[in-house]
Amino acid sequence: MTEFLKTTVDKFTFRVATDRYYNDQGVWALEEAGRVRIGLSDFVQQRSGDVAFAEIKPAGTVLAFGDEAAAIETIKVNIIFGSPATGKVVEVNPAMHDAPEAINQDPYGEGWLAVIEPSDWAADRARLLDPQAYFVRMRAEAEEEAKKL
Amino acid sequence: MSGHGQSKPPQRVVIVPCSGIGKTYGTVSREAAYDLTEDLRPETAQLVPLSLLVLGNEAAREAVAAGPAITIDGCKLACATKMVKENGGKVARDFAVLDVYRRYRQFKPQGIAELNEEGGRLARALAEEAARVVDDLSTGGQHG
Repeated sequence: MTEFLKTTVDKFTFRVATDRYYNDQGVWALEEAGRVRIGLSDFVQQRSGDVAFAEIKPAGTVLAFGDEAAAIETIKVNIIFGSPATGKVVEVNPAMHDAPEAINQDPYGEGWLAVIEPSDWAADRARLLDPQAYFVRMRAEAEEEAKKL
Repeated sequence: MSGHGQSKPPQRVVIVPCSGIGKTYGTVSREAAYDLTEDLRPETAQLVPLSLLVLGNEAAREAVAAGPAITIDGCKLACATKMVKENGGKVARDFAVLDVYRRYRQFKPQGIAELNEEGGRLARALAEEAARVVDDLSTGGQHG
């Protein structure tokens, strides 16, 4: 069962799942039997707003670390997210086509974006943030956002 | 004796849009409600401002309790739908601007005080969908 680090900034509570790694955009990467499932952090989905459309690179696409893996359009912004792993996209969440709101409803579960078959996961993982490091970074970003309110 | 029965007057349908000020989707919901009640179906659709329901305005509460309501929510908080239910109204159909936008991606709304052209078109498309529901309801049809 996934455990979370939690923080509340202003009136918002953000969770960081402790069983995965994160890039600096808040894209998470969860290793599963040699493959890497990716998605967006709770902070990213809350900051971005309700997702209207999500476009994920299709299965078969070969990505380098940081290449565009997904683009989302929300009620507030359009954002492109870089891949947290080098490798080939082997699966895309079918919900992203018809029900991208899954990103908002369950960012660490049903709202996953894609599964990547990594070519060198150990090297990629070393470039990512562990949950504690991402938590600190995310909280700092959230506090900065709160100052703008 | 003519044998003709007296026709039932069409039922007025209450339209309650989001009151989100300063939000693009809230503006779309209100513009759609204006299009619907002032232009498309002025005889059968009646606008009830959400703010009056929140303030407990008696006329607004009576209007909501009297007829079927269509709500137009600007975000997932769904304040319009919640307030209609809290005031004893029956929500016959709830529209969410985000869901409507997913059907009309070519109309990306922007702007707050004043919508861009695409936002205006999105509001119109929403109003036209709602008008069809009003037609069903005002003639006694059921809509889910």
